[in-house]
Amino acid sequence: MEKQRSEYRGTIHQRQKDMMMDWYAALDRAAGGQGPPTVSMMISGNCVELLEGFEAAPIYPEVNALQLAIRHQSLEPILAAEDIGYASDSCAYVKADMGCYIKGLTPTGGKIPTPTLILCNFVGCNTYLKWFEHVAKLTGAPLMVVDVPFMRNDEPSAADIQYVVRQLHEVVQRLEELTGRKFSYDRFQQAVACSARSEELWSQIKHLARSKPAPFDAYFDAITLMGPLYVYRARPEGVAFFEAALQELTAKRDAGQGVYDQEKFRLVIEGPPPYPHFRTFRDMFAKWKACTVASTYSTVGGLFEFGFRHDPERPFESVAMHMIAQNVTNRNYLQRYDQIRKYVEDWHADGVIIHFVKSCRLFSAGQGDMRDYFTRKLGVPTLYIESDLEDPRYFAEAQTRNRIDAYFESLEHAKTTQAMVGV
Amino acid sequence: MRITAGVDVGSTQTKAVLLRENGDMKIIARALVDTGANVQKAADRAFRACCSDAGIDPREVGYVVGTGYGRYNISFGHSQMTEISCHAKGARFLCPGTRTVIDMGGQDAKAISVGENGEVLDFVMNDKCAAGTGRFLANAAEVMGISLDEIGPLSLQATRPVKIATVCTVFVESDILSYVAQGKKAEDILGGVHLAIAKRTLSLARRVNIEAVVTMTGGVARNTGMVKALETVLGSSIQVGADAHFMGAVGAALFAMEKLGQSFESTVWEGAHAASRRD
Amino acid sequence: MDKVLERCTDLVQDIGFAQVRAWKQQHPGRAAVAYFPVYAPVEIIHAAGMLPVCVSGAGDRLDVQYADARFGSFICSIIKTTTELALTGHLDPFDAFLFSSICDSARNLCWVLKRNFPDKYHDFIHLPQNPSSGATAEFLAAEYRRVMAELGGMSGRLIRDDDIAESIALYNRSRELIRELYRVRTHTPHRLAAWESYVLVRAGNFLPVEEHIAILEQALAWLPQRSCKSRDSIRIVVEGSFCEQPPLELIRLIEEAGCYIVEDDFTLGQRWFESDVATNGDPVQALAEAYVAQSVYSSVRHDFRKPRWDGLADKIRDTQADAVLFLIAKFCEPAYFDYVPFKQTVEAMCIPHLLLEFEEKLFTFDRVRTEVETFVESLVFD
Repeated sequence: MEKQRSEYRGTIHQRQKDMMMDWYAALDRAAGGQGPPTVSMMISGNCVELLEGFEAAPIYPEVNALQLAIRHQSLEPILAAEDIGYASDSCAYVKADMGCYIKGLTPTGGKIPTPTLILCNFVGCNTYLKWFEHVAKLTGAPLMVVDVPFMRNDEPSAADIQYVVRQLHEVVQRLEELTGRKFSYDRFQQAVACSARSEELWSQIKHLARSKPAPFDAYFDAITLMGPLYVYRARPEGVAFFEAALQELTAKRDAGQGVYDQEKFRLVIEGPPPYPHFRTFRDMFAKWKACTVASTYSTVGGLFEFGFRHDPERPFESVAMHMIAQNVTNRNYLQRYDQIRKYVEDWHADGVIIHFVKSCRLFSAGQGDMRDYFTRKLGVPTLYIESDLEDPRYFAEAQTRNRIDAYFESLEHAKTTQAMVGV
Repeated sequence: MRITAGVDVGSTQTKAVLLRENGDMKIIARALVDTGANVQKAADRAFRACCSDAGIDPREVGYVVGTGYGRYNISFGHSQMTEISCHAKGARFLCPGTRTVIDMGGQDAKAISVGENGEVLDFVMNDKCAAGTGRFLANAAEVMGISLDEIGPLSLQATRPVKIATVCTVFVESDILSYVAQGKKAEDILGGVHLAIAKRTLSLARRVNIEAVVTMTGGVARNTGMVKALETVLGSSIQVGADAHFMGAVGAALFAMEKLGQSFESTVWEGAHAASRRD
Repeated sequence: MDKVLERCTDLVQDIGFAQVRAWKQQHPGRAAVAYFPVYAPVEIIHAAGMLPVCVSGAGDRLDVQYADARFGSFICSIIKTTTELALTGHLDPFDAFLFSSICDSARNLCWVLKRNFPDKYHDFIHLPQNPSSGATAEFLAAEYRRVMAELGGMSGRLIRDDDIAESIALYNRSRELIRELYRVRTHTPHRLAAWESYVLVRAGNFLPVEEHIAILEQALAWLPQRSCKSRDSIRIVVEGSFCEQPPLELIRLIEEAGCYIVEDDFTLGQRWFESDVATNGDPVQALAEAYVAQSVYSSVRHDFRKPRWDGLADKIRDTQADAVLFLIAKFCEPAYFDYVPFKQTVEAMCIPHLLLEFEEKLFTFDRVRTEVETFVESLVFD
């Protein structure tokens, strides 16, 4: 069978790369003492807008881990971390990051500064707390937590929002002490306005994938394109990036250009990708001309498809709202089922792929039940595959390929049968 | 009349089957060889053994579908299907009414929910570890110094099967040795081992809808003790086809028949020439 | 006393929850509320006229046949056995289920159970992870009042502040007695075996607090008269068993192998407050403030005012322990992560330590026994 390759390689792809490299370069300068103050944060439910009020730059340890894995450099730091006692069955993102400290590695070779503040935005993921405790212990940098109440009801309560807002003010106070800079409410508000604009554009991009054929892959391409969402969304450069991306992808959509010469299957994928085997994994779907039209992982940086926008008129409240309710990790498991179901229905997908990753119990614990819901309750063909997002050792290529092939064989068979009876 | 072949290249054994459609559908030959190091040769040997068994010229075979892990290495194959699809197809054909297939092979175990036309509705696999596979049982047999053929029948004689907590091939060894040291009877230990594997396998299978008729396939199906243990845990009977070992190859041959029906091509093809030239 | 210990052991191992069923029969119309480890505001549940029961898996008493289909590999056993208990009807006597923010797997469990048992009340208490904030106690008090409203809705009557104050007083008493029990273990460990203190304390997970208090008082009264010999065992702190519980046999075995467990974090929820919760003023506020200011250090609670590895160091010093046994449930992520700074801390203190992973379900203990014996030998024959 002819090897199908697919990837989105428009100009926006390169632009995203350049922007991320610029960001790493700025961090390198900061490490050398010529840069802005830096704040370490987690991607999900991040409050990067707040940093803009101090002209501070974000550090995202998850991005470092991800970059390492994609460049096939994650094993060495993981092993170094395991040597000092990190369990083989704990989150490999953390191990890769801690291993980098131990071995003095960074994904780009440039330096990453000790942050002015380690800010743990606790949005569901308990591992985030441990991770940042360890970074604080190791670097000696000050640690603050923004404790974000979990989405245990359909909407956050007033008490939830108030709790987060008050903590955000405490963060501002602390950052003023640590940076020696006064918080600029104006800059903060402008940042929130930029975010709102970036989010609108990103949402429109995501909605482009509802077209048939989808002009980009909402898993593999979306993940590659979403870096600017958490590094630059609160800045004009970010807005400009998303404007250009929307333009480019809209043109493709208008020209009827899909990811493949013929889009045979449309999927929703749940779970992080196996970063150390990103290309190989993608090719397994490319072989079947299966395009992902929506994914949950690409909403880790923010869930904007369904209408939420930051509000410059209520900057603190809307930042709090985003942290509480509009990212995938702080939303409860049934809300995730609902999110996927909406994708299947409104983005017209043929099936769901559940990718269980060993490292991440937030995503993976209970995916068997998710599978049960989709196959038995909704009758949506669902495939369950397993590997890891960071550790290259946990990827069984032949077995994974086997399961994917079996899945598409049956989907293909079903389509052929339907075609024969004129459905 | 049409003849097709299914070749199932597993990691340890390669199975081939010839299917003839002549008003009715009939298996006319089967062959089983060790895969060894050369997958292509193994596939070739199995296929030619079938042809010679059935007394037909390889050129008479209209379509060949390969399956199993080595399916892309069958030089004379027309197309490939995963063994999941093939097991479902084969089981439905050999045991009519099959709605669930439980396959316990040498290296992996799987459960398949099967539709009315033998199509795969859903499936789940354990392809990560040896629990529920022939490898596990072989290991247990070795630890106890009993032959693989005997452990099944012996386990049926258990009166008080021991409790085995782990299904890890490596760790169960120490559990077994522990019970041996405690003076437990071999049949009770084996009874416990079989039950533990049965529970694990059914636990896996419950991820798909377990519906009667449940058919067991794969090499472990020959272990009467395992079949009984599965039936005990499931609480209902399980079909074991006589051709359990060949289920994948049968399914492949059936798919080949479908493909042949879809686009009728000349029965003369390169591969067959190559095969007959080597005779 | 043997009878009491036997009864407590049976309670701990009873996955049919006979005690709960009996209680419901004796108190028709009143609800039984199951909560998942580690801590739950049991005072509030009690004040609502309900029976709080800590459901923490099925130990080694249940074959997981259905739960594996819902939760995959690399998930701790307690999640699966709790799911199995639910799916096989064992949790039918319970009217409500409470979870809290202890870890990612337990959080997802709440919603998996909610989907599968939509007729029962499931709730998730967001126990705060930022005690340094000035807003935390207020938030937690509001969270408690939210849950109170739900429970009140279930019972059909409002929970009065006075009721809560009374419940606090009762649970203060039980915590005081448990502290006393642990003092006995720390100072005179030969008087009370670890497994005995374990079942005495853990029985409180299933009993009405009034009954539990009576049992604890009885035990404490009896202990001074107990005849027992002191042994030459090493004093160890056990750390890491705060949620999924090790098999009773394992706890017994550890001491038989030559140790005295002088401190541990078994059933930490029962010992959550280091001192009494205030009973004057607004009791809900008091509970919230106690959570912020008086909680023990724990792997499931972030508190960087005093990192929990410093708490472990204090524990070792206060109990004059010779060594630490990290007894961690397999796949327990909070424990796995804490192990690293804990290990670094005890090594800096030159305290020997051993790491043992366990699963609820262990039937053969030879390997574990050998490891502990070897460890003890290495300390004794230094």
